[in-house]
Amino acid sequence: MNQIVSIGTSHHVAPVEFREKLAFSDEQLIESLQHLRESHNVHEAVIISTCNRVEVYAVANPHQTVESPIKTLIDFLARFHHIGVETLKKWSYRHHNLGTIQHLFRVTSSLDSMVVGESQILSQVKEAFDISRSAGGAGTVLNRLFPKAFSVGKRIRSETTIASGAVSISYAAVELAKKIFNALEDKTVAIIGAGEMSELTAKHLVANGVSKVIVANRTYERAVKIAEKFKGIPVAYEDDLNFLIDADIVISSTDAPHYLIERQPLAEIMRKRKHRYMFLIDIAVPRDIEPDVSKINHAFLYNIDDLEAVVASNLKERQQEATRAEQIVTEEARRFHDQIQILEVNPTIKALHQQFKEVAETELQACVDKTGLTNTQEAAVASMTQAIVKKLLHHPVTNLRHSVNDGNTDHVQYIHAIQELFALNEIDEKEQE
Amino acid sequence: MHFLFLVTVLVYLAASIFQALYLTIGERSETQTLRSRIALIAFWGTCVGFALLSLFIILWWSRHGHFPMTHWTDSTAFFAWANTLIYIIVVRLTQLRAIGSFVIPVAFVAILISYSFSGNEATLPENLKTYWLVPHVTLILLAYAAFITAFGFGVLYLMAEKKIRQKAHTLFHNLLPSLGASDELGYRCTILGVILLTLGVIVGALWTQYIQEIAWRWLDAKVFLTVVTWVIYVVQIGIRQLWGWRGRKAAYSEIVGFVAVLCTYIGVNLFLDSAHTFR
Repeated sequence: MNQIVSIGTSHHVAPVEFREKLAFSDEQLIESLQHLRESHNVHEAVIISTCNRVEVYAVANPHQTVESPIKTLIDFLARFHHIGVETLKKWSYRHHNLGTIQHLFRVTSSLDSMVVGESQILSQVKEAFDISRSAGGAGTVLNRLFPKAFSVGKRIRSETTIASGAVSISYAAVELAKKIFNALEDKTVAIIGAGEMSELTAKHLVANGVSKVIVANRTYERAVKIAEKFKGIPVAYEDDLNFLIDADIVISSTDAPHYLIERQPLAEIMRKRKHRYMFLIDIAVPRDIEPDVSKINHAFLYNIDDLEAVVASNLKERQQEATRAEQIVTEEARRFHDQIQILEVNPTIKALHQQFKEVAETELQACVDKTGLTNTQEAAVASMTQAIVKKLLHHPVTNLRHSVNDGNTDHVQYIHAIQELFALNEIDEKEQE
Repeated sequence: MHFLFLVTVLVYLAASIFQALYLTIGERSETQTLRSRIALIAFWGTCVGFALLSLFIILWWSRHGHFPMTHWTDSTAFFAWANTLIYIIVVRLTQLRAIGSFVIPVAFVAILISYSFSGNEATLPENLKTYWLVPHVTLILLAYAAFITAFGFGVLYLMAEKKIRQKAHTLFHNLLPSLGASDELGYRCTILGVILLTLGVIVGALWTQYIQEIAWRWLDAKVFLTVVTWVIYVVQIGIRQLWGWRGRKAAYSEIVGFVAVLCTYIGVNLFLDSAHTFR
């Protein structure tokens, strides 16, 4: 029978020291897939190796029942990476059939990711699957499972909002800018002071279309140095803030102990820039921008706490959405599991039909030869035998299909029983000969 | 034809409800799929209503033999038509669906007024049986529709600005156009409205002066109020160009302009006597 199993480790269960030991390079990946298939216990295999997770998905060889397929995977990983079996068991999770399907769907839906809703994982798994497939690792089952997992991942991203809303300060700033300005393309951003956060935000803004960057610093040399990163315009300021006249978005993160931008001077600047909107982001502590600035018409001020609140509410939203996404995953995994099992019973049903049909045809032919029926009579007898075959098989076939949908493994025993009782395997083997 | 009109009214009612639902339905994200369905129904429902209304207007025209704009029934029906036309154009060009939540209910009210007056249709006075009437009334009603769209964007601007200042981030916020977009589109609709209104007034003036040779009547209530409306909008555009009066102030003036339009269009007919009064 098709047994889908998986073993893996991720940031949820293991520290980076362990994950890095288990990681595969692309070459190792291809090599290990070949090893796995040579072991004869594993029919198909796909390996995913990213910085947060290493996972092996495998389909057990149906004719090999001596050793559990999970044990094969554990032994293989232990040998390949020179890790003790006990350590591996301690830092990993193992899934079986429905559990495996559900786990993979959770992974591609980013429900298992560090940041729920992130988009990278889907393409990482796709890449890993492509490598495994080109190395000949995937077969009938995994070639169905992975594409299904990708479509579940896409479905969840479009039907729930787990992937929407910025979850970092810098992205939150970009999103807010988009709420204020019609288009970012012709806008100018000014960075005052230095700092990782402000540079990152400016970078994201440029990636979203902002065309001009002004870098202001107390010393001109430092301004030039930072401006190089953005092809920006360096400005040195003392008390003169006139460079703000051109700035639509202002990110301030100096270590000045007092307010750098105060309400009165800014109101004057706003007048000079004909009251075009200005979005001010104050990520300095102590703050650089007087809070009263937000009372100026068309000036919108957000400080670090405001942005963090936006991020927190987005994260909370994603968490709530995750519950809904889990439901979809469970539902889809169950459906896929049933489909795979139906696939398992199909060959038996087909063989059963084939056998009955052959018996009926042989007997019919014998009868015709013996009695010399007329054409009409022959046709009548033929359709009668067909009807008998159909009716005889109706209940066993329907019940076999139902046994799959019950969700337990009864059908496996049924298949065995039917194959034994009707000697279906012997026919198969004869055909193969 | 009466049946067609009734169906149109009902389609507009349904479309208005869906348009309003689009903005008001819960802020929770479970409703996201539902909301996108509502948005589709609202938009296409409006398009169906628009098609029916167009058909109705054409039939009306061919039956009465004159352009349908001299009475409550036909005038408001045409106004609703103009309103919907501008809505469809704006949504097609900008994808900013939220505007429908304001514009389509207005169109519905107009069409409802039209329906409730549809029994008593007056015959057209002799002096109005002229093709001059067509551009005059069309231009002015299209101008009104543009002003109402501008009003819608003004309200959207104020709502979005409030959200940004409150630092309240909800899904609702994501449905509103950005401040820049609302402001810009409101402005463009205002300009469009002023151009159309100016042309409409010029056509009207030429018609009375040169064709009918009637002296210009400044004291006609509708003419006077139209001039007031025109001045409000032109001043608004001027101030914006000179001193950058945009955003909240522009939104407020779009709302004031809307009130002026209402006075001119409906108020005159109800409370004042004028050569333009519907009879």
